Amino acid sequence: MRRNWVKTSIVLATLGMALWVSASAQQSGSSGAAKGATTPVHEITLPQYPLEMPSGPNLAVFQQHCLLCHSGRYVTMQPRFSRTVWEKEVKKMVDVYGAPITPPEQTQIVEYLMAIRGPADTK
Amino acid sequence: MLAAVGGYAAAVRFLGEGELLSSLLPSAWAEGLASAPQMARYPQKTDLILLTDRPPQLETPLRYFESELTPNDAFFVRWHLAGIPTSVNTRTFRLEVGGRVKNPLQLSLHDLQTKFEAVSVVALCQCAGNSRSLFEPRVAGGQWGNGAMSNARWKGVRLKDVLDAAGVEPATVEVGFRGLDTAPLPQTPRFEKSLPIDRARDGEVLIAYEMNGAPLPMLNGFPIRLVVPGWYATYWVKSLSEITVLDQPLKTFWMDTAYRIPNNAGAEETPQQLSKVTVPITRMSVRSIFVKPTLGEHLSVGRSYTIEGVANDGGSGIRKVEVSTDEGKTWSDAKLGTDLGKYSWRQWSAPWKPTDKGTYRLQVRAISNDGRQQVTSQWNRSGYQRDVIEHVEVVVA
Repeated sequence: MRRNWVKTSIVLATLGMALWVSASAQQSGSSGAAKGATTPVHEITLPQYPLEMPSGPNLAVFQQHCLLCHSGRYVTMQPRFSRTVWEKEVKKMVDVYGAPITPPEQTQIVEYLMAIRGPADTK
Repeated sequence: MLAAVGGYAAAVRFLGEGELLSSLLPSAWAEGLASAPQMARYPQKTDLILLTDRPPQLETPLRYFESELTPNDAFFVRWHLAGIPTSVNTRTFRLEVGGRVKNPLQLSLHDLQTKFEAVSVVALCQCAGNSRSLFEPRVAGGQWGNGAMSNARWKGVRLKDVLDAAGVEPATVEVGFRGLDTAPLPQTPRFEKSLPIDRARDGEVLIAYEMNGAPLPMLNGFPIRLVVPGWYATYWVKSLSEITVLDQPLKTFWMDTAYRIPNNAGAEETPQQLSKVTVPITRMSVRSIFVKPTLGEHLSVGRSYTIEGVANDGGSGIRKVEVSTDEGKTWSDAKLGTDLGKYSWRQWSAPWKPTDKGTYRLQVRAISNDGRQQVTSQWNRSGYQRDVIEHVEVVVA
């Protein structure tokens, strides 16, 4: 890097600009100081908060279909619900959000949801 | 059996099932039952309570409500679809204004900041499902405690001025709004909301480019969001990019199915008798919550303590807040904090010097300037518009 600095002042200026832009981009992405006065591009990088889903029947089917659109926390934050509620929720994903899940797969997913968040006395 | 008892649900919702029952006992309070929820730190934000990570739904810890205005980095976050904007070029970003208008517009952020009068308002932004985890029986949805709301000073331009510049045609009924967020699947409907034309043109609805004197954090809707003072946050479309003037009501899941409440004053129904007619949720109901003390907090007998909280309604302002420390037998007026305007929440405080040891159930209720009061019980299928008189149990030792 330092070897470039012996070149012309134009190179110096260009390099300085690049570092400056890079530094401000980094700042806006990772800290709370996204002022944006230096660059029109405001950018953040979303952090990862991985979640290990509870084990249960058809976990793989759940993971394959449900996690495409949303975090597993949409399920794990819920209290226990009846089969009727879980069937309704899965159906909503298909009917409203257009999730490509076949009826047999929907049944499998409901089984998983019932296993991890079904009524306590039927577990 | 495991059905959580009313107001405990928020504090115990992160606990395992086994811990839940024991946590209902007074002895558990002494052991600090409110086990720490998982916190998450997103860009431009401080540590917030993590409900979901994709898309992010982050709840504001109650201690931030000790400030009149919620700091931008502590302001709650709620997105519907996982394709949220993470990069915005303010040089190329445009707000499109179209539909039934004479002159469709494409406005840059600079246009908004220079070609229209700047106005500001302090307004509470509250999720329709704030405190959903307190509903009993429990309902499905984001299991928020009381922190799905935040109070900020918004600066921007009047939606009315922008619509006037575009020239709204006669016989229009609604204005539709979209943001930059999209869903992973192309067939999923875009998040889209509408306001009745009169509300859209009342001069109070803003297109905000600043909150609390700074640009909006990306997760709160950078570069601009709709601010609909007095109405629930579902209308406050983030990263607003499209405004469409409509000559018939917007038909979308987000208006026709979601965010609807029973068609009665209290948004009331029962699981056995669901309301047949529902309407879109709009104006916030009157409500007050405790900020201090928190559930299970230990207070000292004979020592003065200041109970604190916040109260809000949908735009008439708060007339009165009353606190009871004796199971509702007597109520005393709390002292109201600074009046930041009728759309802001109102902080309140009440001194209390407990004279006896034991567990106490404190209650708080607010009355709005238009005479609305809180209720003693409430339920609806979606867990919206909570306005039950809240309580908190504390231990005096």
